[in-house]
This record gives sequence, C-alpha cells and structure tokens, in this order.
Amino acid sequence: MIIFFIVALILAALSAGSAASNYHENLLLQPLPPSSLLASFNFKSNTTQTSFEQQHFRYFPRALGQILQHANTRELHLRFTTGRWDSESWGSRPWDGAKEGGTGVELWAWIEATDDETAFSKWITLTQSLSGLFCASLNFIDSTRTTRPVASFEPTGDHIASGNLHLLHGTLPGEVVCTENLTPFLKLLPCKGKAGVASLLDGHKLFDAAWQSMAIDVRPVCPSEGECLVQVDQTVDIVMDIERSKRPRGNPIPRPVPNDKLDCDTSKPYHARDTCYPLEKTAGKSWSISELFGRTISGSCPLADGQGETVCLRTSPLQEVRPSPDSVEASVSDQFTRCYTLPSSESFDLDVPEQVSAATDNDVPLEEPVLHAERTIVGHGQERGGMRIIFNNPSTEKTVDFIYFETLPWFLRPYIHTLQATITGRDGVRQQVPASEFIKETYYRPGIDRERGTQLELALSVPPASTVTLTYDFEKAILRYTEYPPDANRGFNVAPAVIKIAAAKPIYIRTTSLLLQLPTPDFSMPYNVIILTSTVIALAFGSIFNLLVRRFVTTEEAAALQAQTLKGRLGGKIVALRDRIRGKSAKVE
Amino acid sequence: MPIDRRKAAVFGGALALRLLLLLLFPSLPDLLTGRVEVSTPVTSFKRLQEGLFLYNRNVSPYDGGVFHQAPLLLPIFSLLPNAHQYPLPTALLYSLIDLLNANALVTISDSAQAVSGRLYTSIRKQIKWDGAVVAAWFLFNPFTIATCLGRSTAVFTSTGILYALSAAVQGQSLNAMFALGLASYLSIYPALLFIPLVLLCYDRHAQRSPSPPSPVLFVAKHFLVFLSSILALLGISLLIIGDFPTLISATYGFQLLVPDLTPNIGLWWYFFIEIFDSFRDFFLGVFWLHLTAYAGSLSVRLRRQPLFVVTSLLGIFAVFKPYPSIADASLYFAVLPLYRHLFPLMRYTFFSVSALLYASLLGPAFYHLWIYAGSGNANFFYAITLVWSLGLSLILADTIFAALRDEWEQENPDKRGKTVKQV
Repeated sequence: MIIFFIVALILAALSAGSAASNYHENLLLQPLPPSSLLASFNFKSNTTQTSFEQQHFRYFPRALGQILQHANTRELHLRFTTGRWDSESWGSRPWDGAKEGGTGVELWAWIEATDDETAFSKWITLTQSLSGLFCASLNFIDSTRTTRPVASFEPTGDHIASGNLHLLHGTLPGEVVCTENLTPFLKLLPCKGKAGVASLLDGHKLFDAAWQSMAIDVRPVCPSEGECLVQVDQTVDIVMDIERSKRPRGNPIPRPVPNDKLDCDTSKPYHARDTCYPLEKTAGKSWSISELFGRTISGSCPLADGQGETVCLRTSPLQEVRPSPDSVEASVSDQFTRCYTLPSSESFDLDVPEQVSAATDNDVPLEEPVLHAERTIVGHGQERGGMRIIFNNPSTEKTVDFIYFETLPWFLRPYIHTLQATITGRDGVRQQVPASEFIKETYYRPGIDRERGTQLELALSVPPASTVTLTYDFEKAILRYTEYPPDANRGFNVAPAVIKIAAAKPIYIRTTSLLLQLPTPDFSMPYNVIILTSTVIALAFGSIFNLLVRRFVTTEEAAALQAQTLKGRLGGKIVALRDRIRGKSAKVE
Repeated sequence: MPIDRRKAAVFGGALALRLLLLLLFPSLPDLLTGRVEVSTPVTSFKRLQEGLFLYNRNVSPYDGGVFHQAPLLLPIFSLLPNAHQYPLPTALLYSLIDLLNANALVTISDSAQAVSGRLYTSIRKQIKWDGAVVAAWFLFNPFTIATCLGRSTAVFTSTGILYALSAAVQGQSLNAMFALGLASYLSIYPALLFIPLVLLCYDRHAQRSPSPPSPVLFVAKHFLVFLSSILALLGISLLIIGDFPTLISATYGFQLLVPDLTPNIGLWWYFFIEIFDSFRDFFLGVFWLHLTAYAGSLSVRLRRQPLFVVTSLLGIFAVFKPYPSIADASLYFAVLPLYRHLFPLMRYTFFSVSALLYASLLGPAFYHLWIYAGSGNANFFYAITLVWSLGLSLILADTIFAALRDEWEQENPDKRGKTVKQV
C-alpha cells in the first residue's frame, strides 16, 4: 500500500515536473560594422522547484544542480569573458551588458545562510566545486578577491522575501578563458553540443573571436500562476571578424592580395602603378555559417521545444539571404529580423551573399551606448601611480545616473582622500570641480594586507554632453618574494570596474582589466640577503658587546697580562731556551 | 629671564629657513612626503591624511591597510585646515615642533648632565658646546629639515623623548615619565628607554635630596606612572575610535609584526621579503630580541652615565628598528653634540662620516635606478641601506668606545693619552 502510494506520488511529481520543464535554444546573428558579426547563442531550460529539490533533473544539468544545492546557492551568475567590446563601432552591448563579465572569470551568487561566516564558507564550497566543474581557477577566489557589493547587483530571480540571502562577488581578471572551459559548458546542455545551434560552438573559432563572453545564470522564477521554476540560462556571445574567420583552418596565415585584385583609391596623389591605397569595402561582405564556423548546424536539438525562431538574422531587409531549403522561415517580428526553424535531422546553413547596392538607409540602426567608460592607470615607476576613470555621456539632454563598482587587490593601496574630479564640456574646457558634485553616495571598504581587497562603490551622475574624469592616487605594495607569480615582471591583473546604469532593466558596462606593475625584489638571492643583513647586525652587535664586556689596559699592562697566560708562559720558556742555546754557542766560540 | 640672543638668532634663522624653503619650492613638501627615506608606513603624512579623511567621515581608519599611526593624532590634525589647499598652517606646526625639540635640547645641554652627573664627571668637561650650538646642529641638520618639510609624524615621538630627557635632567621625574609615556604611546620602541631614563631621574633626585630614596621603590613608583600615562592615553584613544582590538592590531601589532615591507633605510624590509616563510616568525623574534638586548646591557656597563645610554639607544633604534627613517637618525645626531668632549677620543670618525655621506647621496640615486629607471634592481638600494646601517653602527660603537675610554682615563689619570688595549 505504502509502495503504491510512493509510486503514485512520484508519478504525480513527474507529471507536474514535465508540464513546466522545458528547454529552448536560439541563435541570433547580426553583422556589425565595419566587418564583424555578432553571434549570440542562448540556451534556456526550466525545471520546477520541487523536482529540483528532489534531484529529479531532466533538462537541468545534474552536476550544476547538486553543487548549487550543496552550497545553498539560490542564484548564480558565472561569466567567462575575453577581449573587449568596441562600443565606438559596435554600439551598445548585447543583452544590455547583463550577460557579460569582466575580462577573465567573474562569479557572483546569492547564498542562503544565517550569518556572514557561514555564507563565506558556503561560497568557498561553491567556488571549489565550480572550479572542478569548469576547469577554471575559481578556487583562487579567496577572501582577498571576494567582495560583498552593496548597490551594484540586484537579484534577478523571484526569491522568498524572508530568505537570508548573502551576495558574494569574486573575479579572476588574469584567468585565460579557453577550450577547457567551453567543453564543460557544452556538457551542461541537454544535447551536449551534438545537435542544435550548439553544434556550431567550436573552441578554435570561439576563442579566435575579437570578443567573446560565456555566461551561466541560474535563478528561481515564479510565474504569476503555477509552480516556481528554477531556470538555467546559458549564453555565448561572440563577435567574429568575418575576414579572419573565413580563412580556411588548414591555411590560416593571411597572404597579400595579388596586385590585380587590389581595389585602389585612385584619388590619392601618390597613386601610381606600384603604390596603392586600398579602399575599404563599403558593402557588407559575403558570409555563410559554414564559412564562418567551419561547419553547419547539424539539425535541431530534439529535446528543445518545437516553437520556431531558432536561428534569427538581424540585417537590412533588402539583404538577400539564402537559407538551406529544408528550413522554414518563421514569422517576422520586426522589419530587420528574419527567423528560421531548423530542420529536425538535416544540416542547416545560411548564406548571405555580398550586397552590391551601397544604400545604408536600410541598415540595422546601431544603438548608441548610454555611457562610455574608460579606466586606466596613470603615472610611471613602480612605487606609486594613479587611477583615472573617464565617463562620457553622449546624450545631449539626459543626465546618466549609475553605480560605479570596483574591487582593487590589497597590494594596490588607494588614497581616497586624493579623489578629484574634472568635467569637460563639449567645448573642450576642462574644469576642476569638487568630486561631491557628481558623487551622490560612496561606499568604501579599505583593503587589509593579505586579508581582503578594497571595495569602492560610488553613486555617480554625469550631466549631459560632458565628460567627467575621476582620479585618485595609489601606492604599490612590495610583496614577500614567495607571493610573486613566476612572471613577476609582467605585472598583476586588476579586475575591471562594473558600471550599473539605473533603468527599468539595469544596463551594465564593464571597463577593461588593468595591468599593475609592482616593484620586485631580486628573486635569486634570498641566501645572500639573509647572510649580508645578518653580517651587518652581527658586526654591530659584536663590536658593541665586545666593548661592553672587556676592560681597558695600557699596552705595557697588556704585555704583562699576556705573560701570565699559558700561551705567554710557553712563549717565555721558548725564549729562555733559545737564549740558553745561544749563550752556550757563544761560550764555545 | 633675559633672552639669549644667540639662541634667538638660531631659532629665528631655523624658522625662516623652513618657511623660505616652503615658499621657494612649494612642491618640496609633497616630494619629501613621498620619499621612502623620510616617510615610513608608520610615520607617513600621506597615510595620516588618508586616516584623517576616513576618520572625518566616520569610517574606522584602522579597518584598512593604510593607516597605522596613533589615534590621538587624528583629532589634533582634524583641527588643522586641509594640508593640500593650505600648506602653511601644517608647515608652521611642524616648524614649531622642531623649535620645541631644539628648546628641549638647549635645556639638556645647559644642565651639563652629559659631562658631569651624580656618579661621574668627565675630565674633559671643559670641551663642550653650549645650548645654542647644540640647537643649531639639530635645527640646521639637513635630515631634520627634510623630516620637518616631509611632515613625518616621527617628530612627535622625538618631542616626547627629548622632553622626557629635559624633564629628567631638571629633576622633574614624573613629567619625564609622562613624556616617555606619550612617546611610547605614539610608537612603542621608546618604552625601551625606560631603564636608563629612570636611572637618570634617580640620579638627579639623589643629587638634590640629602637622603636618597630606596631605588626599588623609586623605580616601582615611576614605572607605575609610566604605565598609567600610557593606559590613560590608550583610554582616550578608545573613546575616539571605539574598536579596541582592531586599533591595537593596526597600530602596535603592525609595528611589532612588520607586515608592510615598503622599502626604507633600515635592515628589516628586504630581509623579510627574502626570508623563507617557515623562518619568518623566528627571525621576527630574533630581530626584536636583538633590539631589546642593548637597553639592559648598556645600562649596566654605563651605569654612571645614564644620559649617554639614552643617546646610544637612540642611535641603535635609528639602525635596528623595524621602520627607521632619517627622522630617527636626525634625533640621534641631535643628542650626539652633547658629547662634544668624546669626539677627540673617537677613532673612525672620517670613515663613518664618509660612509654616511656616501649612503645619503647614493641612496636616492639607486632607489631611482631601481623603481623608476628600471636599470637597477632592488639590490642597489639594499646595498646602500647596508652601508648606511654600517656607517651608523660604526659611529655608535666608536662613541661607546670613547665614553668607556673617558671613564677609564678618569679612573686612571696617570695613564691618560697612552695607547690602550682591551682584554
């Protein structure tokens, strides 16, 4: 009877689970000026809260689910990023920057715990486990790299209000993201990258891109009706250089274009038979999925829900597009977007030929970013330096309000009292103003040597059509020689700053990571230093104590004293003996 | 009291020189503040400014890795206007502190305790500089001027020590203990001066009163005063800051355990960069033990000249303390002219003075080569700090030799001027 009851319960749970569990994948391709292509992969799977807690995983990756349960993690965001998003030519960021991280690895999570210590120990458990799962050095996120941001991040999931959640944030700016991180990422997908759009993801192409970002977000979602879900959202965004990606894999070295195929600018005064100023191609270059990724999409993932719009292309409506014949063009949501449903078993390719007409009116309009931010280290020498952060508000009417968040390693000691602000209008006039004019709120937690890093959060507002520059001084600490990495003179990575622009859906911008040069000792001579310093100390100690424990005598007294010692007496006897022998020999003569 | 014209001239000249340097080279204070020879992590004015900034914004300045100085400095400096915008008040304060120190030196010199005390009077007591000359040696010493313009907070410790000495030679033994308590509160190492200072106080007391008090009672009483003055200052600090464990570990813990290895002219920083991790704690103990070993032994051997013991200990601190700077050297060179009568007995004056000059000229150059030019490495600066320490310890050993020889000649007047040996 009991067994029957349990079976019935499991069946009920299964049916309930399967009703809400689903998996959806999607690929968006968008050419970017001048000759790049943004490929944005998105994989989303849901599972109900109950089946998640009962460890009944269907689409949700079991490996990840168990780690989250073990570490009491309610919401997780993990980012692997390389390269730099060129907002000057590519416009605003995909997903409004919400699905990207700073260069290297960035991880933040909401952990349920009763107090800060428990939360931190759970956080360490989480980083250690994720480190193993993703083959990344996440286990190096220790107390010096962990911060608790106050205003920069908000939970995106629907959490129980009473939950005792702790937000912890850690970055590894020096981590090199590569194929060993992609493989476990693909393993988490229901189709493991064997079918569906994920079959395009290949380490050779992905990490050859100008910019790439892999993201994993896990969060609880509670729809207005029905059971709460746990959603895992995996994203890969890459910006490929079309020209570079089209090079065949077997022959990747670029060769000079033959003279007769060069397109020269004949208006240049120096243009001649043997000198050429090559013209940029204004029209979009031709490309196809198989050319760029080196393979085609091998059919749709059978586990994905059948709703269309799997592969979408965002380009000018005049652009001619040749999809594989088996695919079905789905309904078009706006004039620039075209979507295709993948054939279930046939491979899918998309061919975009070169467009002859150079009319740019119909191109996809690029969205201007709300804010440009840039952070650099200024000054020279290995003793001290300065940080300079430039915020540029391109809008002519609107003031931008945002939170600026940065974490600094402990060996970079900022002097926050030197924080200064200058503002430059569009007329180019620089003006020194008190920083409090832009900084509405400050949260500052200074770092402690070998214990924790510095955390700085500023609530800033930049007036329209102006550039605000913040500067502050810092000092570089010198470390113990064992604390330097093997390539000490390369420098240390400083994590990128995170900027959260207040909006209905917050926009995130990250600056590039920085390289900090520290003074280095000579690594080759610990023994010599120990010996030389000890010698100087021994010399002083020896000479002073020598003076203190001995007494003065005149040289005559010293000779007399000398005579009383054993050595002196022996010497005296020898002299006497010698004298006697001499005396004898004198007598004989 | 008639105004001593020479003293007034020296003091006025020193003040004028400091203000003139400030007016002629307005960027000089900031330049000197940034020099590792002038500012150490425990005396840097820039770090004090950062601590002050946090303190004025109700953030605990000790909950961070930058500020490690005594909490009492915070309310004092928050009274001054911002040193960046108005550098003059701060410069004036530091110049006045220098003049105060010089005044204490004049008092010590005028008391003639250096040449004749209760138990000992030198046979060379006529060879002596008067107060104005001693003050001039201090005030016009380039190390003192650099420390003053660099606004190092070590000068407050120097004031404490010099006032303790001046009160002691005047027989105000309780004032001396208070002043030493203040100096020890600011940076712990002056506490090691307690033994010779209490001996000096005892000698002065015994010289005046017809029946000398019991030495044990006298020392116990003064130790209590010394301890209670430190405790009182710590109590006030507790009222200012609140978080006592953090305060103690960020100030005294920092000075004792030497976690910050910023280069300075001392011997500790490079040694503790290069030492193997497993031996770090052991050598930390050895270095501190070495520093404390001198106080007792010098006091025993030179019992008859406690003021000279204090002088020698100041020299030893200038070489062997964890974060030494030229401020410590300038304090040693300030009290050394009191012993003018020992100079003829010194043997290696030329060599040690040349070593010091060599180190002070080449030190900044080699530091530049290492940090800025990149054409030298850390060993360049390290070698110079070795030379500096060697030169200072040579002077130290030489003056101790001279003092002992002076005592010996006083005991054996017939052997004056003869060559001696030590057995």
